[in-house]
Amino acid sequence: MQLILEHIIPSYLEKEKVADSEIWEKKLEFSKGEKIQIVASSGRGKTSLVHFLYGLRNDYSGKIIFNNNEISKLGADALSSMRSREISIIFQDLRLFPEHTTEQNITVKRDLLPYHTAEPYTKMAERLGIKGKLNQPSKNCSYGEQQRTAIIRALQQPFDLLLMDEPFSNLDEVNRIKAMELINEEVAARQATVLLFDLKQIEYFKPDRILYL
Amino acid sequence: MQEKATYRAISYKTIAPYLQAGENRNSKFISYAGLGLGVLLLLCCLQMFVNINHLLKEKSIRKDGFDFISVTKSITNENMGSDNRFTEADVAELKSQSFITDVSPLISNQFRAKASAGSVIPFSTDLFLESVKDDFLDTLPASFSWKEGQLEVPIIFSADFLEMYNVFAPAQGLPQISASSISSVNIVLECYSLFGVQKFQGRIVAVSDRINSILVPESFLTWANKNYGNVTKVPAARVYLKTIDANNPELLKFIEEKNYHVNKDRTKFGRVKQILQAVVSGLAGFAILVILLAMLLFSFYLRLMIEKSKTNLQLLVTLGFSPGWLTKTVTRTRIPVYIAIILFALAITAILQFLFQYYVFNNRPELSPFLHWGVVVVGILLLALCVFVTNKLVRGLLYKL
Repeated sequence: MQLILEHIIPSYLEKEKVADSEIWEKKLEFSKGEKIQIVASSGRGKTSLVHFLYGLRNDYSGKIIFNNNEISKLGADALSSMRSREISIIFQDLRLFPEHTTEQNITVKRDLLPYHTAEPYTKMAERLGIKGKLNQPSKNCSYGEQQRTAIIRALQQPFDLLLMDEPFSNLDEVNRIKAMELINEEVAARQATVLLFDLKQIEYFKPDRILYL
Repeated sequence: MQEKATYRAISYKTIAPYLQAGENRNSKFISYAGLGLGVLLLLCCLQMFVNINHLLKEKSIRKDGFDFISVTKSITNENMGSDNRFTEADVAELKSQSFITDVSPLISNQFRAKASAGSVIPFSTDLFLESVKDDFLDTLPASFSWKEGQLEVPIIFSADFLEMYNVFAPAQGLPQISASSISSVNIVLECYSLFGVQKFQGRIVAVSDRINSILVPESFLTWANKNYGNVTKVPAARVYLKTIDANNPELLKFIEEKNYHVNKDRTKFGRVKQILQAVVSGLAGFAILVILLAMLLFSFYLRLMIEKSKTNLQLLVTLGFSPGWLTKTVTRTRIPVYIAIILFALAITAILQFLFQYYVFNNRPELSPFLHWGVVVVGILLLALCVFVTNKLVRGLLYKL
């Protein structure tokens, strides 16, 4: 896995926010298995960077190179392939199918390209306390339950890089730690790189590096 | 609890729940029904067009897109005593008209000619011989040629004359003859001159629907007129016109003004065929319109489905489902339906053709009870067109998400 950020600047970001950032306009390289925490207060372009890395937006200057490919230059089908095999994500806004059950929301990723040969998602749901919600439509679950659904969904596929945008924002302390443990196990199994974006530092993540946006 | 990514085939079933939100059964059913009707109408029209062409082929006076009509000068009480043949100037005038492509005078024999059919058919008659340019003949066998010194003279016989002969033959104690067996009748052709008679062996090589005459090669008649009639330039009593449309009002007006006479049945027949073809072509055009409308309706249905499922489809693409795969998968689900529609339309067309042949044509052999291969090919092409249009449409919509 190789991820390089070369002088990224969002086209809409104020100059003073770029000047004192450890990421914007800098050249950074992330290697396999690294755990990076990116800390940023609101309005510093945290979610934008997540979207740049995932290929959802291209309104920036500079280059993002992932496994020798410049992300902004990838076509729709190449991006899809990357998203199903190399990069997984937990969105801040979760992006679940509200009309579909928790189980369908989890298995949609598994159906596309499963990492696990067995079906451990029920065990994962049990560990995160949402097993009883598997047959309920997502829209009927609490935001915290939906967040745990999004976490489990992200762990169904193979990936070299896991992007997490405020993944625990709606979880209590106990559930945060449980979720973090599950994520750490899955990341370790894949020897993947993790970029965790949050408003403040998360101690139980135990990052190798902390960067301020 | 894990290990290693395994790739397994994903199918429409995987994404069906996320698309069904946009399904509208009514609009889907109506568009499929419209498509089926359009295809059926088009295939029926095509089969009818083939039928008409096939049925009228035998009696067609058209060849290579031209009409051929025979023109004589009208014989009236006033002019019946004078020479009513076409002069060279008359022929030149006909040739100069823009609506006439070509003119061929029918040269007639300027000597006495007599034919007998030997001992099998005890029949003997004086006859008239004519010749016309080869280009004006509807059936031109390779053997229809003559060189000086050749004793055998090929003859093209009028189908109408043959019919007339067959009507009167039984009453005269003569055998009836079919068009296919007439070539085996040995005819002795006697040409009389002032100095005697010469016998030739006549052989009917073809039967013509177009020209009501007994035709011999132009080379023979020119030679015979010179040798037996001592005439080199023969004014024609009738001429044949080659024209794009025998029903052209300008042509008909010209003929009327010149007081010429045409065989109206022949021009009417050409007109009937033209009208029939025009009606069927019009119907086929209408069928294409119905297909276009059905496709339009179907495209609305697809747009509606994709629009209604837009959020879900967007999320599927965000999660890693490729638009290319989604396009292929959605298109593939429509193929069995299209195949069913086309097969249904082909089956109904085949049944109608069978019923048409059996009941309307009383099972007569000149019309096949089966579908023409062209109709099946068009059915397959329509299937390909439906798949192509669906793919383009879905692709356009999905890549825009």
